[in-house]
Amino acid sequence: MKRAAGLVFLALLCAANYAPSQQTPVVFDLLLKNGHVIDPANHRDGRFDIAIVGNKILRVAPDLPASHARTVVDAGQYYITPGLIDIHTHFDAQGADLNLKPDPEALTNGVTTAVDAGSSGWKNFEAFKTRVIDHSKTRLLAFLNIVGAGMYGPKVENDVNEMDPEAAARMVAKYPNIIVGIKTAHFEPPTWDAVDRAVKAAELSHTIVMVDFYPKPGREYSDLILKHLRPGDIHTHFYGQLIPQLDANKKVQPYMWEARKRGVLFDVGHGSGSFWFRIAAPMLRQGFLPDTISTDIHKESIMLPRANMTTTMSKFLNLGMTLEQVIERSTVNPARVIHHPELGTLSEGAVADIAVLELQHGHFGFVDSGRAKMIGDRKLRCVLTVRNGAVVWDTEGLSLTDWTKAGPYSNFK
Amino acid sequence: MSRVLLFLLLAGVLPAQTYDLLLQGGHVIDPANQIDRVMDVAISGNKIARVAEHIPSQDARKTVDVSGLYVTPGLIDLHAHVFGYEGSLFPDDTSLVAGTTTVVDAGGSGWRTFDEFRRTIITKSQTRVLVLINIVGWGMKGPRYENDTNDMDSTATANKIKQNRDVIVGIKTAHFGGTGWTAIDRAVAAGRMADVPIMVDDHIFTNSGRTTREKLLDHLRPGDMHTHMYNDRQVELIDRFTGKVQSYMWEARRRGVLFDMGHGAGSFLWPVATKAMAQGFAPDTISTDLHGESIMMQQPDMPNCITKMMSLGMRLQDAILRSTVNPAKNIHRFPELGTLSSGAVADVAVLTLRTGVFALKDAWAKKRMATEKLENVMTVRNGKIVYDVNGLGFPLWTSAGDYGRIP
Repeated sequence: MKRAAGLVFLALLCAANYAPSQQTPVVFDLLLKNGHVIDPANHRDGRFDIAIVGNKILRVAPDLPASHARTVVDAGQYYITPGLIDIHTHFDAQGADLNLKPDPEALTNGVTTAVDAGSSGWKNFEAFKTRVIDHSKTRLLAFLNIVGAGMYGPKVENDVNEMDPEAAARMVAKYPNIIVGIKTAHFEPPTWDAVDRAVKAAELSHTIVMVDFYPKPGREYSDLILKHLRPGDIHTHFYGQLIPQLDANKKVQPYMWEARKRGVLFDVGHGSGSFWFRIAAPMLRQGFLPDTISTDIHKESIMLPRANMTTTMSKFLNLGMTLEQVIERSTVNPARVIHHPELGTLSEGAVADIAVLELQHGHFGFVDSGRAKMIGDRKLRCVLTVRNGAVVWDTEGLSLTDWTKAGPYSNFK
Repeated sequence: MSRVLLFLLLAGVLPAQTYDLLLQGGHVIDPANQIDRVMDVAISGNKIARVAEHIPSQDARKTVDVSGLYVTPGLIDLHAHVFGYEGSLFPDDTSLVAGTTTVVDAGGSGWRTFDEFRRTIITKSQTRVLVLINIVGWGMKGPRYENDTNDMDSTATANKIKQNRDVIVGIKTAHFGGTGWTAIDRAVAAGRMADVPIMVDDHIFTNSGRTTREKLLDHLRPGDMHTHMYNDRQVELIDRFTGKVQSYMWEARRRGVLFDMGHGAGSFLWPVATKAMAQGFAPDTISTDLHGESIMMQQPDMPNCITKMMSLGMRLQDAILRSTVNPAKNIHRFPELGTLSSGAVADVAVLTLRTGVFALKDAWAKKRMATEKLENVMTVRNGKIVYDVNGLGFPLWTSAGDYGRIP
């Protein structure tokens, strides 16, 4: 009796598990049809369909059957890219009075991974994690500030005694899946203490540093990028007006090229003070492109310079970079820079983090950190975002039903 | 010395740029002053100086060409969440970007938490933040607190209002899951003591012991507001069998009870709003109930809510009235707010009416396609340009030389 029941159970199991898969194909939870896919990690640049099951990308191929999908999005008018990765953000971290919530700013811009750039240090990172990171749909990663209390104002941020490489490295080791490196920023004294302690913490934790730096007598910029930073370390805000990246004739300084050859990385970090058309334009003309495009989004930069991801990307597009170059520097490059190569791709089997972008054509103005304007004819806009397999932003209702065809809903019809 | 200079200026001896900012050539909609045509708006310091035809640009330090755009008083969102509520947002990036220069926080704080609200958010925002204080002492802290009638203290609430009249403009009752009239009646009692209106968010459910008719005709006073008017659980606006607007709705409106949109994630339904608008039952005030959830799906910022009402037949001019003058009146801040009158604080929205095909989404994530969409492109708050998506107010970088921060 028991044995018979076991056999029946086995037969049922076989029927449930194997028989259907031989006869009927997999049901896609979401199918993005016919979009122009730009996926630099996989060298894809053309029309493909993307099928999602659960939270993963199952297939990327032309002509996947719409009849097999629960939800179909016609993306024929749009570009499809890996979810964007913004490696310089500030989202409501404890101790920092920067006041932006992640999801309404990140996901609406196609940013599925945002890296907080040192808002918190080892003393208050866990509070930030509990209060914000754990509750965000956006994947939030972090650079840990070398200052124990993080961006808590000049008094703390200039205090070398607050910079404890061992304590910082211990916190990184505790959260290796969230903390990607060490940040140093806003350090005023004309010494190398902040940079060197950040590098020390990065060495101890086998991570990288991101540096927000401006030169002072005795603290030269060329020494930063040629001597103090290691290959793989990042200088953010490199278009800043206090950075001597150009000579008097607007020629890119030789040490910029040399540092790049060494493997030092240059990140935009737009912010309210660090992106100037008068600096970026000549650098781009000479072929000095950013390794990563990022926003330094916070409550000031989001207003006039409009430092969100799609606007920042659009600025580079209109300064002459190709769409492919812009996408590469907003997806696969930042993923590799922060040593998360599993992100920033549309590989089959990858987590389904996807941005659907519209390339608008028209007459647009863009404002930089100096509040000067550039006129451009193209502007990127995020119309739909998939995060972890779910549609979390759909401004044009591409995945939604028209109310007149929805049948009775609510108490009325 | 300075007195001499002032005299020379006044006497017109020195060539003076009278205005700091001039918005030139826009279509001004200023319902309080019955203006609905192309006019120039001149601003001095943080005040509106003059609205007139053809104000010369040499009279202004900065002139912005806003031709082809609409210029309105800064929008007033009567139902926002910027403190206390789980889904509350920060002001500025969710308000000023949308042309909203004044938000009214609808019940996030109670008398126990208001001081923290003022310290952490109100004083740190560029947006003007006004407050409907929750009748619950702990504010919108969750069901356990919001259902506790023992924490609904009319006297303590009224006292907090009297001490903070600069920002508290009324009382909110919301999310009450108990039976009977305690929440609403205590809010009204506090409203009487402090002489302010109340705003009601009140689910009517089986055995709640409450009906829409009694609520609107017996419990609310003229000048009190019911928000979430276009959902189907709070006010039974439409008779579900006949499809007609209930007679008590018209009666309540005649009594002076006010109806607020409060869009949110759950309170704007096409089947309800379409029927109501077809019969002329429009909201007195257009408001967003913008919070962490609604901002991601329905995106009901003020221009989006206005666009939705326009898709149901409301004229832009009428929608602006219900987004500026009416909310200001309902919280007793008119004509101080909601106008472009000379001497008023210079809070201004510059809006564009785009044509195309746009999806507008309701509480059930059902879309309605529209061919017009209102968007904010520039916001002036307290006389300063705080948002300017296309850089209308700023010079081209190629002609700005070795520029620093341009004012």
